[in-house]
Amino acid sequence: MDGVVRHKFAAVSAIYGMAALLLALCGFPLLWMFMTTLKPDAEIITATPTIFTSAPHFDHYVRLFEQTNFLTYFRNSIFVAGTSTLFSVFVATLAGYGITRFRFRGREGIATTMLFTYMFAPIMIIVPFFILMRGYGLANSHFGLILAYTTFSLPFSMWLLRSFFQSIPLELEEAAMTDGASRPQAVLYVIVPMALPGVIAVSIFAFIVAWNDYIFTRVLISSDELKTLPVGINDLVNATVIDWGMILAGGVVITLPALIFFIVVQRYLVAGWGAGAVKG
Amino acid sequence: MSTTTVPQARERAPLPTQGRRIPEQYWGYVLLAPAVLLVLGLILYPVAYSFWLSFHSKHAFLPIETFIGFENYIELFTNSEDFWRSIELGAIYAFGSVGLQLIVGVSAALLLNQTFVGRTFIRGVTLFPYMVPTVVVVILFRWLFNDAYGFFPYALDLLGLDRDAFLWMEPEHVMLTVILISTWTFFPFVVIGTLARLQTIDPELYAAAKVDGAGVFRRFIHVTLPQISSVLFVIVLLRFIFMFTKFDVIWLLTGASGLGYFVRTLPIYTFVVTFNQLQVGAGAALSVIMFMLLAGFAYVYFKLFRREENL
Repeated sequence: MDGVVRHKFAAVSAIYGMAALLLALCGFPLLWMFMTTLKPDAEIITATPTIFTSAPHFDHYVRLFEQTNFLTYFRNSIFVAGTSTLFSVFVATLAGYGITRFRFRGREGIATTMLFTYMFAPIMIIVPFFILMRGYGLANSHFGLILAYTTFSLPFSMWLLRSFFQSIPLELEEAAMTDGASRPQAVLYVIVPMALPGVIAVSIFAFIVAWNDYIFTRVLISSDELKTLPVGINDLVNATVIDWGMILAGGVVITLPALIFFIVVQRYLVAGWGAGAVKG
Repeated sequence: MSTTTVPQARERAPLPTQGRRIPEQYWGYVLLAPAVLLVLGLILYPVAYSFWLSFHSKHAFLPIETFIGFENYIELFTNSEDFWRSIELGAIYAFGSVGLQLIVGVSAALLLNQTFVGRTFIRGVTLFPYMVPTVVVVILFRWLFNDAYGFFPYALDLLGLDRDAFLWMEPEHVMLTVILISTWTFFPFVVIGTLARLQTIDPELYAAAKVDGAGVFRRFIHVTLPQISSVLFVIVLLRFIFMFTKFDVIWLLTGASGLGYFVRTLPIYTFVVTFNQLQVGAGAALSVIMFMLLAGFAYVYFKLFRREENL
């Protein structure tokens, strides 16, 4: 028995050791970034950095918002990502419902095409996309960006919602309609709540696609006051000698909305994550 | 949808018609129209437009546009060392980063499938790297790898080594650097997909294997691996597609700088030709080549794994 116990102990230690390693791998870089932003410059620009600072302060954040256009970029990002998320979720819900509840010619073809376009990367269409947008006069506008993000998250959003709608029995909405609900009411009050994890997964996905994108903004937007965060911060990095404290503070601020969004809704997401609510 | 009586359409057995405004078979089209129009107009049409552009010589801004047939392609295939180099570097980047993502991702998934205190927390943190915007990932690692003030050179110092023993942003190391950064931010994709499949494996299979005296390693080889192999294949295929067309990690790290030359993969080369050399026709030809490669991978995916609909 002694050997068995020792064996068990070794196995358990191995698991906790691996867990600690994984935690450090994923958490440490982010922790290091955050701790750096609290340090005075003398503790940042040093060959022997420490993780904790002797004099924590938020000067880098203040400077970021007061001395750069960061706040403008932030507003632009919120507006563009928020709007395209709403559009994308709405259009994908209509489509996901339509494709599972109605029988029509071309249905399978559309589903397959959507899955195929999910594999596309922006770099493959950015050239003609830019020429197209320039032709419509949307080249240097937020509307052009919103169209790009809405469309780019659609194939996956629709695909995911399709599988959620498929798993909801038809009998549920039939029962609601027998009780006098119209179909839109049945959809809004019975089906959408049941597909909520899917709707949440899709909104996270759409938000993150728009929030993280660099290339569409880089190519479509030329005026500084229309830039979103990824392009804005990258131009700050390339502009001068890098002010690491301030740039990393920007990194923390850009990361937080995506991370908070994710943490808040994560518990609704068991099914959504299982379904791989991700791309990239 | 209409606010008046809507058709009671069902897939299996349509109810008797009552006050229908729009025939049932059209509702599908109506609901799908916005999605289809957007994808058609803003993704598929641009792809078609790329094909058309690739047969032309076109300047990015000047209104010069001449039909030149296959000239762009011929030039790339026969006369452009840069093109073949970009394919080679792209393959190194894709194979390297997908391989590492697979190793780290599957190990993490196996670990997170065990029971231990703090598992939910660590599972959450494991997904963090994937949620951090790419631009931040790149800035963060440029800081960690910084020759003078970064954590990694300092760590070499702490280990008693020369802190300049390994410089991350050097021509001979920069490929490894982008592969490691990409692995860090994208391996959670592998974790998510693998973990979802691991959790559906019947525990009795393990119990039976244990009774037969199989150790941890043999249980993995003979029970786990056969169960997850098809999902792994899908993950590898998708990851390979995504990594082969990955633009922002590499571009944000090196841009059009001299260092960027050493990681100029196909997507980067496409961007450089189009927006720096302003040769839209040649850039479009490169996009088309990328599209054809993607279509090849997608064909394999659809042929073999159309059933794995959850990925």
